[in-house]
Amino acid sequence: MPSVPSTPTTTAVVLVAAATDDGGPAALLAWERTTILRRLLDQLATLDVVRVHVLTRPAFADAVDAELTAFTAVGVELHASATIADDLATIGELAAGARGTLIIVNGDVVTHREALAGLLADPRVATGILSTGGRTGRPFTFRVRSRRGRVVGANSAFHYCHHSTGSFLGVLKVSPADRAVVASQCAVLASLAAAPPPSWVEEYDFKAIRWRQALARTHVRQSLRLAEEEGAPPPADLPVPGPDGEYTPEQLAAVTLPDERVQELRRRLGAGREDAGALVLVGLVRAGATVGQSYLRELFWARPLSETDVDVATERIADFDEDKVLLETAVKATDGFFTTYFVSPYSRYIARWAANRGLTPNQVTSFSLLLGVLTAAAFATGERWGLIAGAVLLQLAFTFDCVDGQLARYSRQFSKLGAWLDSVFDRTKEYVVFAGLAIGASRTGDSVWLLAGAALTLQTVRHMFDFSYAAAAHQIIASEIPVPLDQAWDSLNQPLPPGETRETLAVEASAPVAAVAPALPASKRFAASLLRSWRRLDRSSSIKWIKRIVAFPIGERFAAISITAALWDAHTSFVVLLVWGTFAMIYGSAGRVLRSVAR
Amino acid sequence: VSQLKLYRDDGLLARFLGRVLGGAAGWPFLQLLLGLLPGVVAIVAKGDDPSDGLVAGCVVWLILLGGISSGRPHTDRWRWALPSTLRAAEYGAVLWMAAATGGSAEPAAFALLGVVAFRQYDLVYRLRYQGTTPPAWVSIVSLGWDGRLVLVLVLFLAGAMTTGLAIAAGALAVVLVGESIHSWTSSLRMDAAEGVYEDEEEDIG
Repeated sequence: MPSVPSTPTTTAVVLVAAATDDGGPAALLAWERTTILRRLLDQLATLDVVRVHVLTRPAFADAVDAELTAFTAVGVELHASATIADDLATIGELAAGARGTLIIVNGDVVTHREALAGLLADPRVATGILSTGGRTGRPFTFRVRSRRGRVVGANSAFHYCHHSTGSFLGVLKVSPADRAVVASQCAVLASLAAAPPPSWVEEYDFKAIRWRQALARTHVRQSLRLAEEEGAPPPADLPVPGPDGEYTPEQLAAVTLPDERVQELRRRLGAGREDAGALVLVGLVRAGATVGQSYLRELFWARPLSETDVDVATERIADFDEDKVLLETAVKATDGFFTTYFVSPYSRYIARWAANRGLTPNQVTSFSLLLGVLTAAAFATGERWGLIAGAVLLQLAFTFDCVDGQLARYSRQFSKLGAWLDSVFDRTKEYVVFAGLAIGASRTGDSVWLLAGAALTLQTVRHMFDFSYAAAAHQIIASEIPVPLDQAWDSLNQPLPPGETRETLAVEASAPVAAVAPALPASKRFAASLLRSWRRLDRSSSIKWIKRIVAFPIGERFAAISITAALWDAHTSFVVLLVWGTFAMIYGSAGRVLRSVAR
Repeated sequence: VSQLKLYRDDGLLARFLGRVLGGAAGWPFLQLLLGLLPGVVAIVAKGDDPSDGLVAGCVVWLILLGGISSGRPHTDRWRWALPSTLRAAEYGAVLWMAAATGGSAEPAAFALLGVVAFRQYDLVYRLRYQGTTPPAWVSIVSLGWDGRLVLVLVLFLAGAMTTGLAIAAGALAVVLVGESIHSWTSSLRMDAAEGVYEDEEEDIG
């Protein structure tokens, strides 16, 4: 086969603007025998980055330049810009001029190479961010809101997104197609950053209050815990929480912060204000670009801004076994019950074995289809031994069906064709097995072709519901009116209610905007409250699993076929598939009908 | 064309009906449900023993109303229910005619539905993973749901279900699978020329 030249044309923009307490760049903090910045650059150099632009402040330029002379793996260019506005202007120029993919990353990010590779080397994420769900401090991140895997709202020091669902971890990948969007949005952002509009200033002041509140709360709770551990009475100067265990903003404002927390607040505010990457992300999102996500999963991430932060990070990152985490997280988080508890526990080791043997996911996918065809052939005998053999073969086929995806995620061998083959072969396997069962049944004089046809119809219709609902949801996201960049809040039509201020809303940590939504008609309110209670049930893990089992995903379907075919006959298999599948379809549609009414 | 319209898999006849009769007013999902109603009632009442006239009437009515429902843009809150309901209608009608014929028409109908299902999944997955849709001639050759229903109805009335469905399934399979493979080989060749993806074989060495 002729050698196809791979053309790694990725350009990285590394932002070195956040400062430590003594005024030096955080990216130059010592990390083992090198610095955080060098560690990051070394990682990028192994990820097909061919050109690095380091953006820093004039005061940092000499120190950064000295650090870069020792780094020769990749061509580096240093840009000294006085302000974040200059940073944005430079990023805009680089985006307009660069070839290939552009990466914008904070120079003080400490994470695993595998976490970076997850975003940078995954061709399925064209433009996207490294992100994590839940709340991650270390020391702080800007929040994002995602819907259907797509980032639709983002925070910066000057922007606020409502109903946030995760965190932006300071690494942004821009596809060649979206570079023009970055260029034009950066021009707008640069002029706004040079003379911040009132909305930006207000949001930044608001963040200062909110971040101080958070630090005060942590301080109070830590002091209480410390006193309790020592058996001492709680310090007298600490506020008394309300019945819900919460403190009022006034109480938190009255707390005197110790020096190290004051410094931490100052570092956060300083780093946040200098964070051009977060602004570029807001620009992309508000321009309606499709921004995907690559999850940190169980790997380590931090942005240390002080030597203490570095010490904590050094200690914690040592606890991570990258290979173990990779293997564990190669399992899809949203798999069904049967897959999660009966297949993934051992299939991941087959995946690792296959990776070590150098097998490709597509080979495994094809092998799985072959097993599916053998299953159908065994079922088609119509004999008892054939039904039992088919049941076993079908489980083997399903195991390898899980292995291919896990192998792809573990060894990061994603391809578009692989994803298509995986999906299409899954469906082919299922319907070929239906045919096998029906042939076997007709040999014993029981014609179940209509049942087989009905089962195929039901499953196709159920899939089509999923596809169409997703398409409709994306249509809605795309039709939303973009919010201009000079406005801090990203909800245009939800003004603050009378008598409320940003500060009073800030304590209602649970989605401040929900409280200010305009009055809805009774039917919508009813549907919305039903949906909320329904989602609340997910807090119980057993109920969450029951819901997933009821939805009759592929693992459960194949298990049902194997068990019914081995113990009874094809007729029973189809009846079970039809009854369970119909119930699952009604159950799934009920939720979607409710959501449609609530909209 | 919006994704939902693509997933509908309308043929020339349905699109014509939508343009001529469906553009002015009405709710697409309601129109489709009305189109399904007589067929559902007939299946419940008569099972697999309907008269030819009843089958013909129900299928023609379904094509008429289903076609009309393609006329308006799918932007209302029930838009997500249209493509799957159309699939249920098409597959259900084919199975009903096969059941009314009985015998070998049933496996032949299963074969046709299997091939048609390949087209539905290929439409979705190719758009999702390759970012393209099959060329227009494929949707003309594969007739759309409306064209396929007309074909199966003619075969049913002519008493040629088994042979007709088997030939249709075979021919469609060759065209659809062949075109899909062709699209992937040419798309991979283009990617290789652009050097976007690293060759997996090279990595392994």
